Amino acid sequence: MSAPVLEEAPAPPAPRERWSLHRVFSSKASWVLVVLAVWIILGSILSGIHTLTLATAAQSPFTSWLTEVASAIRGNRTESVAFVYFFNPVRGGIEGFIEVIRSVIAVPGAGDVIPVIGWLGVIAIVGFVVFATSNWRTSLLCMALLFACGALGVWSDTMDTLAMTLGSVALSLAIGLPLGIWAGLSDRALAVMRPALDLAQILPTLVYLAPLALVFLIGVASATIATMVYSIPICVRLTSHAIRELRGSGALEAARSMGSTRWQMLRKVELPMAKRTIILGVNQTTLAALSFVVIAALIAAPGLGKPIVTALTIRNVGDGVVAGLAVVFLAIMLDRATTAAVVRSDTILSDEGRVRRRIALAVAAVAAVAAIILSRQVLWAAVFPPALVIGEPVGAAADAATEWFTSTFSWLTTGVAEFLTVWVLNPLESLLVNSPWWLTVVAISLIGLLIGGRVVGVVTVVLLTAIVVIGLWSDAMATFAQVLMATAFTMIVGVVLGVLAGRSAKVERALKPILDAGQTLPAFVYLVPVLALFGPTRFAAIVCGVFYAAPVVVRVVADGVRGVSSDMVESATAQGSSSWQIIRKVQLPASSKSLMLAVNQGLIFVLAVVVIGGLVGGGGLGYLVLVGQSKPELAGKGLAAGLAIVLLGVVLDRIAQSSARRRS
Amino acid sequence: MTVTSSPDATIAVRSLWKVFGPKADTVVGTDLAELSRADLLAQTGCVAAVRDVSFDVAPGEVFVVMGLSGSGKSTLVRCLTRLIEPTSGSVLLDGEDIAQASPKRLRELRRTKFSMVFQHFGLLPHRRVIDNIAYSLEINGVGREARHARAREVIELVGLTGYDQHYPEQLSGGMQQRVGLARALAVDPEVMFLDEPFSALDPLIRRDMQAEVMRLHRDLGKTMVFITHDLAEAMKVGDRIAIMRDGAVVQVGTAEDLVARPVDDYVADFTRDIPRSHVLTLQAIARPVRGDDDLTGPRLPGTTIVRDAARAILDSQHPVQVVSGDDVVGVVTKDEVLRLISADDPA
Repeated sequence: MSAPVLEEAPAPPAPRERWSLHRVFSSKASWVLVVLAVWIILGSILSGIHTLTLATAAQSPFTSWLTEVASAIRGNRTESVAFVYFFNPVRGGIEGFIEVIRSVIAVPGAGDVIPVIGWLGVIAIVGFVVFATSNWRTSLLCMALLFACGALGVWSDTMDTLAMTLGSVALSLAIGLPLGIWAGLSDRALAVMRPALDLAQILPTLVYLAPLALVFLIGVASATIATMVYSIPICVRLTSHAIRELRGSGALEAARSMGSTRWQMLRKVELPMAKRTIILGVNQTTLAALSFVVIAALIAAPGLGKPIVTALTIRNVGDGVVAGLAVVFLAIMLDRATTAAVVRSDTILSDEGRVRRRIALAVAAVAAVAAIILSRQVLWAAVFPPALVIGEPVGAAADAATEWFTSTFSWLTTGVAEFLTVWVLNPLESLLVNSPWWLTVVAISLIGLLIGGRVVGVVTVVLLTAIVVIGLWSDAMATFAQVLMATAFTMIVGVVLGVLAGRSAKVERALKPILDAGQTLPAFVYLVPVLALFGPTRFAAIVCGVFYAAPVVVRVVADGVRGVSSDMVESATAQGSSSWQIIRKVQLPASSKSLMLAVNQGLIFVLAVVVIGGLVGGGGLGYLVLVGQSKPELAGKGLAAGLAIVLLGVVLDRIAQSSARRRS
Repeated sequence: MTVTSSPDATIAVRSLWKVFGPKADTVVGTDLAELSRADLLAQTGCVAAVRDVSFDVAPGEVFVVMGLSGSGKSTLVRCLTRLIEPTSGSVLLDGEDIAQASPKRLRELRRTKFSMVFQHFGLLPHRRVIDNIAYSLEINGVGREARHARAREVIELVGLTGYDQHYPEQLSGGMQQRVGLARALAVDPEVMFLDEPFSALDPLIRRDMQAEVMRLHRDLGKTMVFITHDLAEAMKVGDRIAIMRDGAVVQVGTAEDLVARPVDDYVADFTRDIPRSHVLTLQAIARPVRGDDDLTGPRLPGTTIVRDAARAILDSQHPVQVVSGDDVVGVVTKDEVLRLISADDPA
């Protein structure tokens, strides 16, 4: 077969600089090691000098200024124009909206003993809605989970959390979906929103609370707004992605070639085709909202978060476990209900099937209405029957189990904790906290420069200096030490499990439920069992961070390893490589981009949880945020600590991201 | 390249350009336009995907645009329908310039005058077959009953009866492309643009679909612009073929023109593997009548393809007379046929 004459081959492009772990280790790593060595040596010589330590109750100029600002804002709430005409009405509107939902399912009206709808009615409504949007199996599961929340004896708290979550999700979707569609259609709109979306991804949940509480007071309104601020970016991001991934699809081009208007394209082609991904976005938005509503108990949001916070502060494991279980049940319920809706949206029914389904829906609707009426008339259907409540025995059992576990395995838990604290965490923290601040700034910036390039080096200097100026250097470095250690563990766990899962479908299937749970559960509920096992220590905060971040890292690494083309693996196998050689020489180098992404994600996730660990003895910036929350005279310090967390997050994010981006 | 411009052409493309890149509109009409593709890219960062293309398509004709990947044929067909905005030039459809049409008028044209079939079908996954086919009627405001009735007509026409309630993903590739064809036919367009409609299909299915398009063309007489990278397909379905290279049209002609009279080595190289006997007509291989020829053999029209006449020529004891009307224009003997056939198989 003669090949037709092709156009002259263009000059071969200059070989592109390819990034590989190997190359980095040979060229840059040696320099990084030099910097580290100098830092350690100088740090130990100059230990204790210029450490900028600040006692918890002490103020820096910046924090006392912030404290004044905070009290000025507090004093102006009734007078300032911005408050009278904007913030206060917004607060009133949102509070009103949420209170309406709460009054229906959670809070008895004035002079009433029960809310508008009793427990049986709520379960029936949930069952019907889930049946209508997905299927009867999921519907039964959701009803059972809600019932279990009642049986745990936390029905009313559960309803508060559910009401807050649903209300926040409704508001978030009302804003997030249109914005997301807009960002999906217009590059300019996305460019405008992108900085905010990027920032939202690295902001730890804890830092939203104080500024919002300052403006909107603590309580339902602040909690809802904070939840929205947290979940709207997720909704926007996924909706925009859903619309964007259709670009270049033949169906869109075909629809255009048939003369569709812009509006027809959106309504008849793009939205229906993007529906699946958009519903997944709703799923993520909902779970994010739930996890935030729970954490928002720190600013007096009603619901299940409250008993958890109390349990954490007075170290009452039993109560914490009961409320935590209810949160888990709610999370599973919301997750199943929304993901089952995705499946439903894909299901194709025969005509016969449709008729049958319509009849079933009608029957279910009648049953639901009956249950609602019943729940308003009859006491046992209105108030969860105390006879069915097993919350106390569950709490007691959890206490007993913890007692047994900690006393039996204390050699293990405290042994591991102490070993790692003494041999890893303490030296690391000592290097970061006890070195002179200028030495640490220079060392970290040099490392940033070596890994990420000039821009990152400059950004690192500026942001770290900002932390110094804020006056929370020492606390920030304590947090930094915990984040580094937790990220290191997360990466070890994540890469090992990720490679296994990426290479073997069996391992992946086995891990999936754990990973799903890890990504679904609000970070707050990890604290309870970890606290029980490790006590109120810095190590507990680190373990929480690892628990929270590892699932994401495993997923990213597994995706990367699986994404390595099978041709590459096959040809390596055909050349006689062993499994270990394939992992080390083919799969890991070829998925190095995923590895860097995993480091980045790991850092951000770890930071978010490690600061919450301030609640269980983690100290550092997270603790200061919480202190500022409870003591008005230290409000400025809390706000400053939040700011320092953000700056730290940006530094970590920049360094990790640039190292992936620069060489890919 | 010259173009025979006929006033009754359905489509008349004139000096069509599409340049991608920064300041693309400054290329056409300047010296830059004379540069080769590589030089243009080096000097301006622009790529001329379609370069000064002109041709006419007669009513009812199947006009094939053929070229390798990267030759600009897909960009060309998208410029004709303005899925890609041409940089300059005109595309006259019944004398109206599509390239100048307002957005509103363009939508009207797309909804009524022409339609497209795509390589990867471009069906809407969330709609049943019948609603995929009725889509263009739907967006044009045709009522549900009327558009479904019309959709059922074309479903029958393309042989999909019984599949109207299926979703695209439940159909095989060949059947999906039948839906694509039906959708393009639903508005009863004057012109159909088919962009590599069968390239994504298996060879056997492809052959069926080629036959199907030829049948539809015979029955409905639509004017078609058919894009392909497969020369055999081009020769099978096309009345005339335009060969594209580097964005420009190298040669336009019938299959026989391309095989018998290639304008350059590129076209010759292209057509080298096409069996001559499948394309050439008796006219092309006939030799003039000599005095000693026995003129008692059978007579065949000069437009007969050699392959179709081979049996008769080989069986005949005497030279076959090639006629045009009543005139004998030459004779063909076993020698010419065997020489042609043996040349087809250089191995």
